[in-house]
Amino acid sequence: MTALLRLLLAALASLFVVAPAAAHPHVWVTATSEPVYAPDGSVTGIRQHWAFDDMYSAFALQGLASKEKGKFTREELAPLAKVNMQQLKESAYFSYATVDGKKTPFADPLPGYGLDYKNEILTLNFTLPFKQPVKAKDLTIELYDPTYFVAFTLAKPAPVHLIGAPAQCKLDIEWPREMSYALGKRLSNNPEAATNFGSFFANKIIVKCP
Amino acid sequence: MTRRWPVWATGAAALAVCALIDPALAQPFGLHANAAPEPGGFAGWILAEQAKFYLKLSHLIRASKADGSAAYTLLGISFIYGIFHAAGPGHGKAVISSYLVANDETWRRGVILSFCSAILQSLTAIGIVAIAAVLLGATAHVMGNTVRVIETVSYVFIILIGLRLFWVKGRSFLHLLHGQPQTQHHDHGHAHDHGHAHAHAHHDNGHAHDPHHHHDEEEASAWGHAHAPEPQELKGPHWLRRGLAAIVAVGLRPCSGAIIVLVFALAQGLFWIGVASTFVMGLGTAITVAAVATLAVGARGFAGKLAKSKPGAALLIVRGLETAAAAVIILFGAALLTGYMVSERLMGV
Repeated sequence: MTALLRLLLAALASLFVVAPAAAHPHVWVTATSEPVYAPDGSVTGIRQHWAFDDMYSAFALQGLASKEKGKFTREELAPLAKVNMQQLKESAYFSYATVDGKKTPFADPLPGYGLDYKNEILTLNFTLPFKQPVKAKDLTIELYDPTYFVAFTLAKPAPVHLIGAPAQCKLDIEWPREMSYALGKRLSNNPEAATNFGSFFANKIIVKCP
Repeated sequence: MTRRWPVWATGAAALAVCALIDPALAQPFGLHANAAPEPGGFAGWILAEQAKFYLKLSHLIRASKADGSAAYTLLGISFIYGIFHAAGPGHGKAVISSYLVANDETWRRGVILSFCSAILQSLTAIGIVAIAAVLLGATAHVMGNTVRVIETVSYVFIILIGLRLFWVKGRSFLHLLHGQPQTQHHDHGHAHDHGHAHAHAHHDNGHAHDPHHHHDEEEASAWGHAHAPEPQELKGPHWLRRGLAAIVAVGLRPCSGAIIVLVFALAQGLFWIGVASTFVMGLGTAITVAAVATLAVGARGFAGKLAKSKPGAALLIVRGLETAAAAVIILFGAALLTGYMVSERLMGV
């Protein structure tokens, strides 16, 4: 009887084991990011420019009024931008900074954020400041959606510009991996992958300063 | 030792059922917060494929404006996209599979339930966009809120289905565990207060089960369903009426992808192309869900057969499995409802 119970428990437990299920993106973002530096060489935050894919752009604009058909000004898009920023706050703006090995959260975005609409593509522009400017020898900013509903890709060929950074600072970019059968297999053997799926498709911006 | 093999075999089969349902679960239950899905090799491949197809959709919808033949390509791609897409969360594989396992339904019914829920899911997406966007000119934000309300209703529904099954199956399991005489709780089987006619449950004495087995199964049947039902019941609408709850719970919640595609098509002035694409996508989705459901039912049937070779202890495992499947439905619904498990956000960005 104990053997049976054990089996039963095992069966139960296996129902709760993390399954190799797949979240899938419905929104694609092509991102350009600009770490901003103060004159003293500390990082104050990051400017983001996120271009959405055409389907999501059309979806987001549904029902919005504009003076000229098919064209939207920044003012006309201001209410939408506000909603977007509120919702992004819940997701930590999909931006994760590490300063000298320490996770450092961003503060609320600066005023002056906004949406632009050009060639049927909606682009969200905003600046995320650090709570205080930080001196960083090693700054890493990762861009990803942990749930992988939004797929982020840094814009090619030059997605990152350093604004006002000391001349000795070196920029490095790690592109997100392409999802493939082989990668899937590797990830399924990686316990770390179970805790943070989207992070395996992270875009990494790495800035090293002396 | 040899006498005990059916027990072990049943246990193995029960585990196999779980193993089969498990990868099929739309999204996993992480054991700790922030647990996100882990891509298996096959799931990873599917993920890559469906992303490719999704990006093709936008191009093909645009092309359909100028070139009618692009519309046919669009339908083909929509179909394939649906098949791949349903591997992801939110298409009811977990709920339908668990429901079928807990209720010991046939694979044929599983296929029908899968198709009905997929078609309903397409209809909901089309309905929302047609009413909100086309008729009322509502914004994406309003649509997102509408979807959220519908989602909540659907999740509550999933929990209710799970609770109902858990109550019936769990009780039967406990009776079995305590070894109470089967006849004592024979009456319970008829005490359910659901509006479903019970006539068929009383006259299945003709079939081959031994009396204990028979009574237990009758008791264990949620929605008053007798196992190995009479042929006329198979033909009749009873099981479908019973399954309606599962169909609605799963199909009520529209797929975000379909809504985005529909609104995009609408913006291109091609709403009907979007509608056609959504239906074909639903068809593809149904195939995947039906395949997963069939696997689950097959494994469950295997476990059941082994159990019959040694009623008693092995039957306990089967009842336990059914109870576990019901518990999975409850937890699944609860995780979705509380936002612990985010199925899909429509308005995340």
